[in-house]
Amino acid sequence: MKQKQKKIGSLVLMIMLTLSMILTGCSSKSSSSGKANKNQTTVTFWHPMTDVTGEAVDAVIKEFEKQNPDIKINSVYTANQGEGQNEKLMTAISGGNPPDVAYFDRFEIGSWAAQGSLEDLTQLAESSGVTKETYYPFAWDEANYQGKLFGIPTTTDSRLVYFNIDHFKEVGLDPENPPKTIAELEAAAEKLTKKKGKRFERIGFIPWFGQGWFYGWGWSFGGEFYNPETNKATAEDPKLVEALQWITDYAKKYNVEDIAGFTDSQGQGAMDPFLTGQLSMKVSGPWEVSAIKKFKPDLKYGVFPLPTPTGENHTTWSGGWSVVIPKGAENKDAAWKFMKFFGGEEGQKVFSGIARDFSVIDSVNEELGYKGDPILKEFVKILPVSHHRPVMTQGSLYWNELASAVENATRGNGSPEELLTKVNEKVNKELSK
Amino acid sequence: MLLPENQSSGGAVIKVKGNMPLAENMNSPKTEPNNQINITAKKRLANWGKYKTGFLFASPWIIGLLVFYAIPLVSSIYFSFTTYSILQPGEFIGLQNYKELMNDELFWKSVYNTVYFAVFYVPLGIIFGVALAMMLNMKVKGMAVYRTIFFLPTLVPHVALAVLWMWLLNPGFGLVNGILSTIGIEGPSWLGSETWSKPSLILMSLWGIGQAVVIYLAGLGDIPEDYYDAANVDGANWFQKTFHITLPLLTPVIFFNLVMGIIGAFQQFTLPYTLTQGKGTPANSLTFYVMYLYDNGFKFFKMGYASAMAWVLFLIVMALTAFVFITSKRWVHYQGK
Repeated sequence: MKQKQKKIGSLVLMIMLTLSMILTGCSSKSSSSGKANKNQTTVTFWHPMTDVTGEAVDAVIKEFEKQNPDIKINSVYTANQGEGQNEKLMTAISGGNPPDVAYFDRFEIGSWAAQGSLEDLTQLAESSGVTKETYYPFAWDEANYQGKLFGIPTTTDSRLVYFNIDHFKEVGLDPENPPKTIAELEAAAEKLTKKKGKRFERIGFIPWFGQGWFYGWGWSFGGEFYNPETNKATAEDPKLVEALQWITDYAKKYNVEDIAGFTDSQGQGAMDPFLTGQLSMKVSGPWEVSAIKKFKPDLKYGVFPLPTPTGENHTTWSGGWSVVIPKGAENKDAAWKFMKFFGGEEGQKVFSGIARDFSVIDSVNEELGYKGDPILKEFVKILPVSHHRPVMTQGSLYWNELASAVENATRGNGSPEELLTKVNEKVNKELSK
Repeated sequence: MLLPENQSSGGAVIKVKGNMPLAENMNSPKTEPNNQINITAKKRLANWGKYKTGFLFASPWIIGLLVFYAIPLVSSIYFSFTTYSILQPGEFIGLQNYKELMNDELFWKSVYNTVYFAVFYVPLGIIFGVALAMMLNMKVKGMAVYRTIFFLPTLVPHVALAVLWMWLLNPGFGLVNGILSTIGIEGPSWLGSETWSKPSLILMSLWGIGQAVVIYLAGLGDIPEDYYDAANVDGANWFQKTFHITLPLLTPVIFFNLVMGIIGAFQQFTLPYTLTQGKGTPANSLTFYVMYLYDNGFKFFKMGYASAMAWVLFLIVMALTAFVFITSKRWVHYQGK
């Protein structure tokens, strides 16, 4: 009996070993098949895109390969690449084995360029006629560091407040005339909120929820975050303090722990509180439109710009993506060709047309009909006055510090002024290094 | 083992081994006429010949240890004195990183969070672990099943564990608050609350206590029945047996789990990192030491600073372990002593 078991065991082991050998054999075959054509240059491209954007980028690659038969794009999905988690890329660069092209969050270009980890594209751009005039100014500025180009912008966005028209009607607010000033916003939020004990049945508005980052409120209050001439953060700006004070008061009024209890119970996608009708107003970007179309097509909603204290000078901020060549990449010329195509009008049309992300080229947005869509046109309309996050060596640190300052202020751990002063000291100390 | 007639596929290896004693035999007669010191020196050399093959066989592991552990470990001491950023070698700045750490508020916050976690988790882990092990050591039918049930959570990867508990502790429709509300308690928002976020984490960590329980069970099995028999004859009750036989004789195992528990608690990373997507929310109340270290090293281009943090952590853990070792003479009772 025992012997029989042993025999079966060794048989299973043998089968597994043979199988694994066959499998490894297969995988090495498939990787070598990419280089089958000797005249082809293979460009490795790391990106974090899945779902709709994944399809869009595949379409771009397909079109590019059709036009450039001598170049093959090896598209590699790299989870969270560029979304605040660039560890893989960082170690690949320092290990001297980076991809040829990487999809990269534009606001981090400054810090990465300062570390000397990206290839300077200025020469390549000049010689092939890629110029500033093609792009939105903020997108181009973000891709530059100290007068040199380090990335080609590919997408952009902006942030507005979404509101639920039915909720507005229910409590007697005019959906044709949404809040313009901070005071109006607060009054509307109060009317819309339904609270029972500690639990919210519905909450009118949460300033820091979704895309309600401090950058948006700071600029809406008329503050400035950075002085490019002195290379100093200006988080102490009294206007920024005022903005944070408003958020803090808001948190106190509705009890921040109760709000946290509410937001922590919320899901994403179809379970988003704005879609389930538990949240009446929310700061978000243009991608929300396709989410609503997908999960709750009958939702009646509108958008309005982030309110300001005076009700004038509405603004917002834009982020977005770019493609970069990491330092030490092998096939720079072929990589550049691909980047130029991706960021050029043709590639933009393909990508933006499928992904429904805004293009960084105004004429493409026009052609794709974004300016005709009742909701999306508002997002495009505000782009010319949109801000971008400061191009600096400590972009990630500044972002994180501001986020935790907001969090600490709303939780009552220090006054807004103290917290912003600390942020300023910390970031400036790193900037001066 | 040394069968010259063995003609199997392993023959080549055996031949090499078979040659070794031969080589030694040839060497040893030559050494005889020399004086004492020479003999030992030659003996060492001869021994080296004997060990050489062994070292060769172990070399993949030794090289791996040197390249992937020893060299990075030693170089991180150097890096902790520089502004190394992974992408750039940086400059030598002496003790600047360490000085800066002392004035870094978030550093102290992360130390506080980690110590808070360790202070509650380690003792609770021991209490629950020993109690569970004693329950699982009772002679009841189907014990193997119960033991398996309590060990199962340790098989769950930490990331999955975090996601699972995020649902259980969900303030709106989580199971925990659901049960609390049936007995009339309105539960807190757990992970969303500054006061409750760390206790929630301790609760989750205690769930994966199975590994320690298995070790305690082995320790319990090591206690001879004779002591209990003698105690029974003397008319000792359950409490007396537990506190005068079981626990004292379990101290070597508790000692081991205490040391491992302290080290593990100070290195807490995966759970809070997954729970908060690396942000340590709410209000940095879940920013643990190693999380902050990681952020500095891989997000803020401050690998030098992170190396300094790593060495400070090493000193803390080392000091605590030394402290436990010194006091262990007073409370750890080894059998047969």
